Amino acid sequence: MPLHMTRRALLTTAMAAGATGALGRLAHAQVKTLNVLCHRVHQANLTTGAAGNVIKPWEDKNDAQISWTTLDSNPLQDRLFREASLSETDFNVGYVIDNRMTSQIASLFEPLDDLRKAEPIEDFDDIAEGLRQSMTVGGKLVGVPVRHATQGLFYNEELLQEAGISAPPNTLEELVEQAKKLTFTSRSGTPVVGMILASDLAVFPVMFARAFGGDFIDKQFKVVPDPEAMEKGLSVLADLFKAGALPRSYATTRNDDMVTWMQQGRAAFAVLPFARYAQLNNKEQSTAPGKIKAIEFPGSKTLSSGHEMHPVVESWAMAIPANSTDKKLSWSYIRFVASKAATLDMARNGNGPVRTSTYAEPSFAGSLPQAKVEAAALAKARPAFPAFPEAARAQSTFLEEVQLAVLGRKSPKEAVAAIVDRVKPLMPA
Amino acid sequence: MRSRRLAIGAGKMLAVAAIVVWSLFPIGFIVLSSFKPGREIFAVPPELFFEPTFEHYASLWHRWPAFFDGLVNSLVITTGATALAVMASLLAGFAYSRYRGVRFLEGSVMFLIGSRLIPPIVVTLPLFPVVNRLGLNDTHLVLILLYATFFVSLGTLLMRTFIDQVPRELDEAAVLDGARPLTILVKIILPLVAPGMLAVAVFVVVFAWNEFLFAYIFTANHAKTAPLVLSEMISSIDGVDWGVLFAASTVQLLPVLVFVVLMNRFLVAGLTAGATKG
Repeated sequence: MPLHMTRRALLTTAMAAGATGALGRLAHAQVKTLNVLCHRVHQANLTTGAAGNVIKPWEDKNDAQISWTTLDSNPLQDRLFREASLSETDFNVGYVIDNRMTSQIASLFEPLDDLRKAEPIEDFDDIAEGLRQSMTVGGKLVGVPVRHATQGLFYNEELLQEAGISAPPNTLEELVEQAKKLTFTSRSGTPVVGMILASDLAVFPVMFARAFGGDFIDKQFKVVPDPEAMEKGLSVLADLFKAGALPRSYATTRNDDMVTWMQQGRAAFAVLPFARYAQLNNKEQSTAPGKIKAIEFPGSKTLSSGHEMHPVVESWAMAIPANSTDKKLSWSYIRFVASKAATLDMARNGNGPVRTSTYAEPSFAGSLPQAKVEAAALAKARPAFPAFPEAARAQSTFLEEVQLAVLGRKSPKEAVAAIVDRVKPLMPA
Repeated sequence: MRSRRLAIGAGKMLAVAAIVVWSLFPIGFIVLSSFKPGREIFAVPPELFFEPTFEHYASLWHRWPAFFDGLVNSLVITTGATALAVMASLLAGFAYSRYRGVRFLEGSVMFLIGSRLIPPIVVTLPLFPVVNRLGLNDTHLVLILLYATFFVSLGTLLMRTFIDQVPRELDEAAVLDGARPLTILVKIILPLVAPGMLAVAVFVVVFAWNEFLFAYIFTANHAKTAPLVLSEMISSIDGVDWGVLFAASTVQLLPVLVFVVLMNRFLVAGLTAGATKG
């Protein structure tokens, strides 16, 4: 059937279609876009999980859409700092790791104190103090903490029982004894090592030094403030290696090996962030689901009563690149994500909550077996070392000497002396 | 004498077998592990017999849609870069082959070789602000241009060698019939050097499909390629789901493997081009 259309009808239809299109574009233009550069985990914690899409109410209220760009930790930091050093960037909010926030890096980000004064973050002091401090550079707040990973001691309960050990260790000395006892072949025929530690991260030797009240670099940038404590820590590691309670492949062991070995029942103890609990007990990946438990890393029995064991914590914070646009919208996002309700919901979605009050919430604490232990560890936790420009070189120098001591190529005393000699020149003036 | 020859033959066979196992073991491990249940992947002692599962492929599909977007981006970029590099190499190879003696051209050959000697990272970082200023950041175009540029030098040298093998008498006969240079290139030389173009294409495809550094520096979202998503799966925060990672690696590996196997003879031709030239 032929279609008859008058010239007037055609014109009217065309105008109506054009107007509809223009209105559509106008409506689309009104939706703001917030570009967020983060790790995939940060996005997942805000959008998926038991608490659902946490950020949706903020998007609806602000008529905004979030465009997520995700990368793994190191590439993410490189990209963020590169973007922040341009004359202008499209990224409105970036996620920063605490040990990267040196004074030079901090100068690339917007100081948040004025924004905070104008529109405060709900109960800001509820966020763990150590985390807030790591984002305060030169007296200015440059990032708002959003996630933490505090190190705990994981143990395979099944293996402990098999070796006739009824309870996990209370002191470092007990840990060494149990680790040696747990270096055996399990009933399933799997060769087990007492403990697995990665050799490429400063976290682990620092934990052992702190168990004796020592440290690698303290807040005042003093290198190895207590050499004797560091020597004791390295001696314990060397002793474990000599006894076969650390894998022969210690020098090439990486973080992912720790998870795999624990899941496969090839190691009885590991030092890992509490947040790894779910992965270690994942029944599709683990040979001992529900049997891998966590406690605080124990201090030495020689640790004097005035000192306590400070576990290592790594945290992430949200920051606004100084060269970005629409900082008001960025701040609105940060305020929302840092609120008590969002922190709780993100925790239910798997995030390590930065607010101490979140751990007291029954809806969260009830669902997380290690919540109480993790909260206690977080309250005392400190970063492995403070942020400074030569931190990466300092860490690799430290690890080089630690490995020589653990493998028996140097005495712990010589290694500690070398750490002090080689790392001191790298400290900020 | 015979036993000595037999021993040498057996030694050669063993050496070849060792190289084959050495080369294929990682690939075989990845492909097989992608079909193993998660807890059996790193079991000690290894589980040699297992019930295959597609759970990792299902997880990849549900949990990592970005990987499949990345594959589409990789495909677009690889196709674009290959087409551009092959065309540019053909034109440049024709010029170098047929216009010898031109001073500028002779000198620029050294430049072509020199550009291959520069490590990519040296040009990448200074290029970032320039690409950003041009508004090309996170676009397919920037990677197409970079990948093609990176391979035009090698492609040109290859194409020159292939075109050199086409007798000049054919060009001269065409000129007598009134053909212009472009006609000679398209109608006479192109059909004869098609295997060379395919050889160049194989090199560019393999490079562009797997390239990481340029993609890492110049893309974020819209043009993010599959290798970048793979690197994201090796997460330093929430750990690695090895089964899913191996499934993704298998999917990433498959198209380029099929392509290289199909184009194998052209690849060999490319590698040996000019080898017997007097």
